[in-house]
Amino acid sequence: MNKEMLKTSLILMIYTLAAGIALSLVYTITEDKIGNAELENTITAMKYVLTDGNGNQVISSEEIEKTVSEKSSEMGNVLYTDNIGTINSPVYEFASGETKYYVVTGYAPGYGGNVITMASFKYENGELSLYAIKVLDYSQETPGLGAKIADENIQKRFYPIPENGLRNGIKVDKDAGKQALNPEDAKSQGVVKVSDVMTGATITPRAVSNSLNAMYNYLKKEYLQGGAN
Amino acid sequence: MASKWKELTKGIISENPTYVQVLGMCPTLATTTNAENAFGMGIAATIVLIMSNVVISAIRKTVPEKVRMPIFITVIATLVTIIDLLMHAYTYDLWKTLGLFIPLITVNCIIMGRAEAYASKNGIFDSFLDGLGMGIGFTLGLVLLGSIRELLGNGTIFGIEVWGNAFNMFAMILPPGAFLTLGLLSAFFASISIRKSDKAKKMASQQQAQKAGEQR
Repeated sequence: MNKEMLKTSLILMIYTLAAGIALSLVYTITEDKIGNAELENTITAMKYVLTDGNGNQVISSEEIEKTVSEKSSEMGNVLYTDNIGTINSPVYEFASGETKYYVVTGYAPGYGGNVITMASFKYENGELSLYAIKVLDYSQETPGLGAKIADENIQKRFYPIPENGLRNGIKVDKDAGKQALNPEDAKSQGVVKVSDVMTGATITPRAVSNSLNAMYNYLKKEYLQGGAN
Repeated sequence: MASKWKELTKGIISENPTYVQVLGMCPTLATTTNAENAFGMGIAATIVLIMSNVVISAIRKTVPEKVRMPIFITVIATLVTIIDLLMHAYTYDLWKTLGLFIPLITVNCIIMGRAEAYASKNGIFDSFLDGLGMGIGFTLGLVLLGSIRELLGNGTIFGIEVWGNAFNMFAMILPPGAFLTLGLLSAFFASISIRKSDKAKKMASQQQAQKAGEQR
């Protein structure tokens, strides 16, 4: 009986050991590749949020790539949280003449999980405004409802928002009780009009708004107070 | 050759994992919100199923009866993790789309079910065919469910507009839609098999009656 037990446990051990070795091998081989793929993804998204209305990048690709690579070790670290929205990237800072751009990535809980958004803020003449956003991960949102956030035209409802609008906190039109506004007027008041294009789905745009608010609060109250301006 | 063909096709209709064996209900209900997700889950599960069937069939003679479950689980979890890492590294965009489903495959009872019921008792090639057939059956089952839910809930199939916003029931995309559609489809498949067996019984009794008549 004892002998059989020993044999059985030995076989089990060999299998788990083999599995462990196989996994560590694959992990070692793929580690760098995975890092690069994540970096590529961040760079692509960043180019998107640093593009103006005419399709021209406000910051050159080389500079974006350089900045992202330099800060790659800080990627994914939680930088700030207000318990609703969380920033989990370093602040990528770019300058174009007198104008500065800050890009951050953050998330807030949506319907099925976290909705991750990258946003660029523009700092000009002492005013910090929301320049552009890109929703990076909405994979747990409901298709046909919350997952409609993937639509670029819907994401454009979130930006640009001037500092006046940001100061009071960005709100979805339904929460602000301002469904009658047109999308452009809404933006100037910090209201994101989505009730017409995302009927029945307020949770996902609310998550994006929450993460944007956390980003603004951090940049305004901590980052820019720290002497960066 | 005919038996090999049967090995492959049994999973598609007569032993369909979703509607006949009623296995893997958790991913079935969770990922069929649209046709594309359903297809992605199906393909990812098929690949793991084939690989786990082949590996388990290859090692079946060295696995002691008492610890076969932990060993099978170890093999399946290792395969899933390796696939997850490789896809993350080499096919980033695909991984982004399927990433959510890959860890779910570890706990998909079809994989464990086929390992226990088939691969641990049959040769490598047969197990490969079994995995492929069951995988295709699972994928078709999911795509059918996903397409119906997407069509009724969003007016599209695979993102292609069918009737747009003319007739949309949000409930179909939400969990109740999954249960309703799954229930109706299972009833449909069950009615087919009941009709078939009724027909076979009728045929058999007719033949018996004929034989009895001839004997007289």
